[in-house]
Amino acid sequence: MMELIVTVFSAAFFVTVIRTTTPLLLATLGGLIADLSGALNVALEGMMLIGCLTAVIVSVYAPWYVAVAAGLGAGALLGLIMAFFAYRLKADIILVGFAINILAAGGTVFALALATGGDKGTSINLQSKAIPAVDLSFLSAIPGVGPILTAFLSGHSVLSWVAAFLVFAVWYFLYRTPWGLWLRGVGEYPAAPEAAGIPVNKVRTWSLIVSGALAGLGGAQLAMFNYVGFTRDMTAGRGFIALGAVLLGARHPIGALLAALLFGAFEALAVVMPGLFNDVPAELIRMIPFVVTIAALVLFSIRAQRALAMRGVK
Amino acid sequence: MSNVPAIDRASRWKTIRSEVGRAVGALVIALFVAFVVVLLTSKAPFEALNVLLTQPISKPRTIGLWIDDVAKLTVTGLAFSLVFQARQFAMGVQGQVYIGALAASYVALSPLGASWAGIPLGITAAMLAGAVYGFLPGIAKAKLGANEIVSSLMLNYIAIELCNYLVRTSLPKPQPGVLTTDNFPASAVFPPLIPNTRIDLGIILALIAVLVVWFALYRTSWGLKLRLVGHNSRFAEYSGIKATFIMVSAMTAAGALGGLLGSMFVQGQTYGKLTVLFEGGLAFEGILVAIVARSRPLAVPIVALFYAYLRQGAQLMNIRTDVPAEVIGIVTAIIILLVSSSFSLNFITRLFKRGPAPAVAAVTAAGGTAK
Repeated sequence: MMELIVTVFSAAFFVTVIRTTTPLLLATLGGLIADLSGALNVALEGMMLIGCLTAVIVSVYAPWYVAVAAGLGAGALLGLIMAFFAYRLKADIILVGFAINILAAGGTVFALALATGGDKGTSINLQSKAIPAVDLSFLSAIPGVGPILTAFLSGHSVLSWVAAFLVFAVWYFLYRTPWGLWLRGVGEYPAAPEAAGIPVNKVRTWSLIVSGALAGLGGAQLAMFNYVGFTRDMTAGRGFIALGAVLLGARHPIGALLAALLFGAFEALAVVMPGLFNDVPAELIRMIPFVVTIAALVLFSIRAQRALAMRGVK
Repeated sequence: MSNVPAIDRASRWKTIRSEVGRAVGALVIALFVAFVVVLLTSKAPFEALNVLLTQPISKPRTIGLWIDDVAKLTVTGLAFSLVFQARQFAMGVQGQVYIGALAASYVALSPLGASWAGIPLGITAAMLAGAVYGFLPGIAKAKLGANEIVSSLMLNYIAIELCNYLVRTSLPKPQPGVLTTDNFPASAVFPPLIPNTRIDLGIILALIAVLVVWFALYRTSWGLKLRLVGHNSRFAEYSGIKATFIMVSAMTAAGALGGLLGSMFVQGQTYGKLTVLFEGGLAFEGILVAIVARSRPLAVPIVALFYAYLRQGAQLMNIRTDVPAEVIGIVTAIIILLVSSSFSLNFITRLFKRGPAPAVAAVTAAGGTAK
């Protein structure tokens, strides 16, 4: 137990938490934007997975930032497809989302087999690149706190910093710009913005595109930093966990950050625990993020119901 | 008055015709896209296509594989149909399959499994376990408003890991280190209907399940209430139906079907034992089956018949040619997208009438899906 506590409060663990949180946070922000526009984006999982594969394949032939942009673009394209079928062709958005997940699960394996000439499932044959870590070791020069700052702040992926900035950007967009107001209005009560002359379907479509782009970005981080390379189903439910994180985060960007950090911390715990406890089975450790998601979902729902009841009383 | 049933029947035939037309249209488009993908990527595209479309009925063995798949797709399609009819999006069939399979395996590997009770008790245990697993997201939604999609998906992952854990540790194994249990005693394995094929009791169970679900949905008051809740839960609530009870019971019943599927997997001729990850993603194929069948129980086995054929064809294509079986995922996704949307046969013409913008979107959509 003592080792666990020591590990959890070490700088290395903090860096691991940031690493596991980043893809989740990006997907959660994507889920948040879709959710606020009135669409439960169950396709986050598939969008991330296709983002992973696109980033890995492009990174073989292009610099890392092009690969990241490609992952982002692939997610955005999937968002557009989703919007097209859900809003123009009036399909149920949840079914469309699952169609995209099925497409991603099969399509990535298929595309990988083509790209590698027969490899089904992993991209071992591909020389894919990684996203560079931001080196802030010059902070050590600061007397006193310098080394600590370096230990905590250095070595994160570029995308981790981008994600942190995006939390602020999404908050600013949602609550300080007219378009954010439109988006929230469309999600809350579409008839009102419609009457006010706001292009409701356009807002919804763009929300799904941005949602997909963020999920694709999360996929790029997953396949180019957390792991370098692609493996079949490598997202392993992160897109679905992100859906839970949106709800747990009370549908707010700061809440999304905290929820993603919580899930990231438990995932990091699952990463470090096998080294510390040999007697705890790996399967049970791998279950942790899913159990935590359910527990969080239940707790959040209780809280939301209590809030509703209080409003009803007043 | 006397011609009301006649009108009813005529309109029903019209609905069936138009639904079949849509499904076939979607299938043709999806197969066409798959064909283009194969054409662009394979060295021998026509051979691959030939294998996909003709090989599943080439030998008794492959026919057996096909029928076995039909039985399983039927049951998962029914489970999804039940929750879709109540307009719930519980995605927990996969988890219920694993939990049901675990329950069936514990029965089959116990002394009871070696007696005549091995099969009926295994099925019952599996269905009960599946029902409990379906009940959990239902009650969490009814009592707390917890989103059933997220909770049921999480329960899927938990069930898979639980199955991995129990197979690795506590269940009896032929030798340490392998991730399968001992073979079940013969009395706990479904007898084959046709010797040396995989056609076993499972297909009969599937057909019974079709009839039971049809009867429950269309000939009982529970079914009427369930469909009312699915159409308009607030109206149902106003007319005195306990919508939450219907919702939870639908998810529980679907869970029992998921559990049944678990027992069909492990007690069927295919395995006759429990192995890790035995399900291979089949449970989620029920989404396609249910959507194309419009959640109508009687249409489910027919859709399953066609879809299982495609799946088996893809497997054979995977083995015999250079095209991976996963190409079928593209077909599946396109069929779901087209059938669940307002797509119809004159949809293409409408699209072009509206001007170039939607057409461009359609092209990008097709390009994206074919990727």
